[in-house]
Amino acid sequence: MAQPKEIFVRLDRCMGCHSCELACAVEHSQSKALYSAISEKPTPQSRVYVEWVAPDNRLPVLCRHCEDAPCMHACICGAISRTEEGVVMTNTDKCIGCWTCVMVCPYGVIGRHLEEHKAYRCDRCPDLEIPACVSSCPTKALVYQTVGEFSKDVRKVASSEILAGEGG
Amino acid sequence: MANNGMRYVIIGASAAGMAAAEAIRNSESSGVITLLSEEPVMPYFRPMIPFLISGKKSAADMALIGQGPYSGTGIEVRLNSRAEEVDTSNQAVMVQGGDQVPYDRLLIATGSRPYIPPEINGTEAKGVFALRTLTDASAAADRAAKSDHVVMLGGGLLNLKAAFALLERGLDVTLVVYSPEVLSQLMEPDDAVLIRNALNKAGLKIITGCSATHILSQAGGVNGVLLDNGQEISCQMVCIGKGVFPNVDFLQQSDVQVDQGVVVDRFTSCNAANVFAAGDVAVTFDPITGDRIVTGLWTNAVEMGRCAGYNMAGRTTEYTGTFGILNATQVADEPFVSMGIVHTSETDLETHVFSTPKTYRKLVFSEEGERLVGAVFIGDISHAGLYRYVIRERMAVDKIKPFILKHTLHYGHLLLS
Repeated sequence: MAQPKEIFVRLDRCMGCHSCELACAVEHSQSKALYSAISEKPTPQSRVYVEWVAPDNRLPVLCRHCEDAPCMHACICGAISRTEEGVVMTNTDKCIGCWTCVMVCPYGVIGRHLEEHKAYRCDRCPDLEIPACVSSCPTKALVYQTVGEFSKDVRKVASSEILAGEGG
Repeated sequence: MANNGMRYVIIGASAAGMAAAEAIRNSESSGVITLLSEEPVMPYFRPMIPFLISGKKSAADMALIGQGPYSGTGIEVRLNSRAEEVDTSNQAVMVQGGDQVPYDRLLIATGSRPYIPPEINGTEAKGVFALRTLTDASAAADRAAKSDHVVMLGGGLLNLKAAFALLERGLDVTLVVYSPEVLSQLMEPDDAVLIRNALNKAGLKIITGCSATHILSQAGGVNGVLLDNGQEISCQMVCIGKGVFPNVDFLQQSDVQVDQGVVVDRFTSCNAANVFAAGDVAVTFDPITGDRIVTGLWTNAVEMGRCAGYNMAGRTTEYTGTFGILNATQVADEPFVSMGIVHTSETDLETHVFSTPKTYRKLVFSEEGERLVGAVFIGDISHAGLYRYVIRERMAVDKIKPFILKHTLHYGHLLLS
């Protein structure tokens, strides 16, 4: 099976502009358009959270779709399962809003939709080729790649730094 | 197809048993997995049974197989197959009706059953329920259809959920609680104010500091409850929610060690060879208090069952215990999470309480204040899992304490602080 793509975060690139949050909420709206999304009920919610850590670090946090997903096993009604692409999905129709998933997620990335009384989280935008947060990121802090591709890029940067170091 | 694989037998086909079966199947494909269930219906998500009473869900909506992580194939569930004895020397389970089921690896996952206080007279009357199984809930739904007023004995979460299901059906519901406040196992009375307000607003009548002495009945079943303060409440239905205790009776003749529940080591093994135990029936431990505990929580049972399944399949996996108190839910419009050590009266634990008209949170630190040991969140439970992680990993909190106190902790603090 081909390795599925994941959303990776390049910590050194995030400027904290929150574009990803906006794009995520719009993509998860009914109209999928910014200005109409604003007035929609239930209010569209972002599933990515840009956090700040002193002295000057920004960090987009989103569901890691854990290999051993605590939320999926903890769910008391079978609403959380993994798709063939490796995405851990909450089935909104089945979710009873007991918040057990919120209690066990060590990343704190499962939101509670208060109007709908349902849990929500990153679904990696099943209708899009590239997730909305990734497409919207102006600095390419968010990338959508396989583990192999991402680590290859990391190695490339490292080797060019080593070469530069040796040359200098 | 001939199959020379390992014979895995699991007694009990609920959270721990099904999670173990799934873990075994994920680990190896040749083993024969057989679950023995005393129930007449296929496995279901037990915590959902109150929805059968409210009518919001059908029994089919609660089916477990094929939902969530339960997609494993080649897992046989035998219904109406109550285990009566375990013969550890011949490695076989005697099943009601005379069948013997031989095993190479056995999991005891028989769960728990409701505690019915012997000091209450008349609990065998028609219309008295202790909700545990789908069958119980189905019978309770039938009785509710013919009732106007229900008395619930016990102020725990199970009874509160059932009480709401009955309120949603339009019944009058009175909750009789022996403790000074509802949810006394999960929080202290002062912590429960917002929840109590929400319950009152929802129309639940609550009587605290009282217990029932007699359940009164006539030909048609229950017609009232007599309390220890002399008050008599007329009703057509009673639900008892006074906690649960492990199902270990069938082990009396065996040499499997039982001390309240089935005793296991850190790798979910019993004293008898090739026998494991998990879930409500097992004695586990709280990594924070160090106490030996038996819990009655679906989520804990799944976690321990998965661990047992891996150990049975030869993937040695240590069980790291669970908090004696660990629960999240929503009662009325009030979400809450309670975890770790939260009963702080008469302790020297460093306790911080933040209360607003809409939210309440209590953060409990060790006596020296260097570790988080417990938390109650009511109203706003966001990021609760992060706090659970901080408690469970016994993290030094010096750098993140201000964020814990302000409820602004996020994953970035754990990663970059």
